[in-house]
Amino acid sequence: MGHHMPPPPPEEVVVVVKKWWPPDETRLGIISAVIAVLIVIFPGLPAVIKAIGVIFALVWGADSVRKTSKYGLGTGVPSIGYFAVIGYGMVGAFTGMAFSRYGHLGPVEAGVLVGVLFMAITGYISGILANTPKLIAMKIPRLERGMMELGAAGTLAVLLECSIIAGTTRWEPVLENGINTGVIAVILILSSLAMFHPYNACLGPDEIRERTLKVSVEISGLICIILGIASLVTLGGMATGIQMIIFGVIVWLVFYVSFVRAAIRESHSVTGTGLIKTIE
Amino acid sequence: MAAEIVLLFAWTIVIIALAFLACMFEDLESDTGSQSNPNSQVQLAPQVGYVHRFFNKAISGEPLSWCMYATTSGTIAWVLLKQGVTPLLAIPIGVLTGEALHVIFSTTAHVGRVSGQKRFQQPVYLDVLYGSLLPIAAFGFIGSLCITSIAYIQSNLGTLSGIPQLNHPFPFPLLCFIWGITVGAIGSSTGDIHYGTEREFQDRPFGEGKRVVYHGKITRYADCGIRRQHDIVSFCAKFGGPCTGLTFGSIILFENWRTLVGMMLGGYLPAAIGLSDTAALIGIGIGIAIVVLLLVVNMRLVRWARKTYGPFVGA
Repeated sequence: MGHHMPPPPPEEVVVVVKKWWPPDETRLGIISAVIAVLIVIFPGLPAVIKAIGVIFALVWGADSVRKTSKYGLGTGVPSIGYFAVIGYGMVGAFTGMAFSRYGHLGPVEAGVLVGVLFMAITGYISGILANTPKLIAMKIPRLERGMMELGAAGTLAVLLECSIIAGTTRWEPVLENGINTGVIAVILILSSLAMFHPYNACLGPDEIRERTLKVSVEISGLICIILGIASLVTLGGMATGIQMIIFGVIVWLVFYVSFVRAAIRESHSVTGTGLIKTIE
Repeated sequence: MAAEIVLLFAWTIVIIALAFLACMFEDLESDTGSQSNPNSQVQLAPQVGYVHRFFNKAISGEPLSWCMYATTSGTIAWVLLKQGVTPLLAIPIGVLTGEALHVIFSTTAHVGRVSGQKRFQQPVYLDVLYGSLLPIAAFGFIGSLCITSIAYIQSNLGTLSGIPQLNHPFPFPLLCFIWGITVGAIGSSTGDIHYGTEREFQDRPFGEGKRVVYHGKITRYADCGIRRQHDIVSFCAKFGGPCTGLTFGSIILFENWRTLVGMMLGGYLPAAIGLSDTAALIGIGIGIAIVVLLLVVNMRLVRWARKTYGPFVGA
């Protein structure tokens, strides 16, 4: 054979720099859960602080969707996020709000945590049921933990967003300002997108976790803007709404620019235009 | 016939016309961004060696993404309506906000999916990225405008036709949520089939289905030059899009017509008092009759098509 062998490419030296962000899956889950729980039990906090809780809850949910779907769930990625928020999140949040009249200690209203706990347990049980060989036998690795986290994260996100809209997590004000007005619809759909869109949008063999999670924070920024606009009506005053809109715009801008830059930088190449070719 | 009943039917026909437009543009929009079913071919193409110039708009399936645009539009429009802004201004401004979110989600989906396929050597074509965003937003705007208008009319249907009891009990943003999911579901289930059958398998035996050797080929060459979404949109605008619109429009037409006729014959309209079982039963009876009629017509149509267009190799 007269083919000339090309010289072997020089070996690339890969330097792995351990970054502090994002922390690994377990640490991110614990950090987010603690922050979101601490914020949700103080309904008197300013809306912007609650928005930080929303960001952490949704990043946790997005990471959990990623972890659960990573083994090769393709079209199921959106379903799992939708399930987490509109299935688990809504039931858990309503349960929590029903219990919110109990467990008051000064500014702390710990009753809502019943909903979070209830959904975490329900999620874990449904994960076991789905994986048990004699029942549904889906055999998805780590589904039990994923479902538990999705239940808790979805509930925390919906609770915090309802708390931003109504100023409290009590059932009656939320029913009046959040549900009867229809704002709950935008809360549910945008929160599900914040959970499933990151992994769904970045899906592929060269997906990078750090880049994927940026999308979740970016969508949380958009949620803050929309909730800020809606709270102009539901809360009556201008102050909270304007704070939320400014906060949301900053969060969205920073993480959107950061994500798009990272994605373009880490893609195969960027060209203004070009013809297609067939890879041999 | 009482003026209220005429007005009620008239507004229902406005809703049906808007539904036709909404679903037609929904389908064309999903072709512009290659979402939903076409998306799987676009996603697959680089993996089988075909680098492509398609926009990869992977914002979940169409029902959820359309639910998002419509709900956001509806929420912003609702806020503006509460501030006393006229609906003629509030709804388009709300829809513009919804489309801003649509474009944001489209860019993250496209660059995210392309960078996730680095090893298949798929580059980010900037002209594809920028050149697709405006058509996506334009088609999406018309679709969302129709959906938000339908939800607005429906939530005020009683007031508009002079029978206030008939206003929809659901709030305006929640109606947008439900209509968004519905239009996405119909657009996805009907529109995708036409995208595939019309464009992908035109020169294949009738009913052959999708063989593995054809995977990714849809992204290669158009009638002239390299294929992009714009070729597919102009192609589907001739049949697939209107057909999808017709499906959604017919569903809304039959569903509302049978309910209204039932209410009218049952003596509930125009006074809107004394709702009896008769009204519901007449509505259900007409509904069953329509379903049976459609079944028969469809069976005959399929049989005729298989006989007329040559041997059907599918089943």
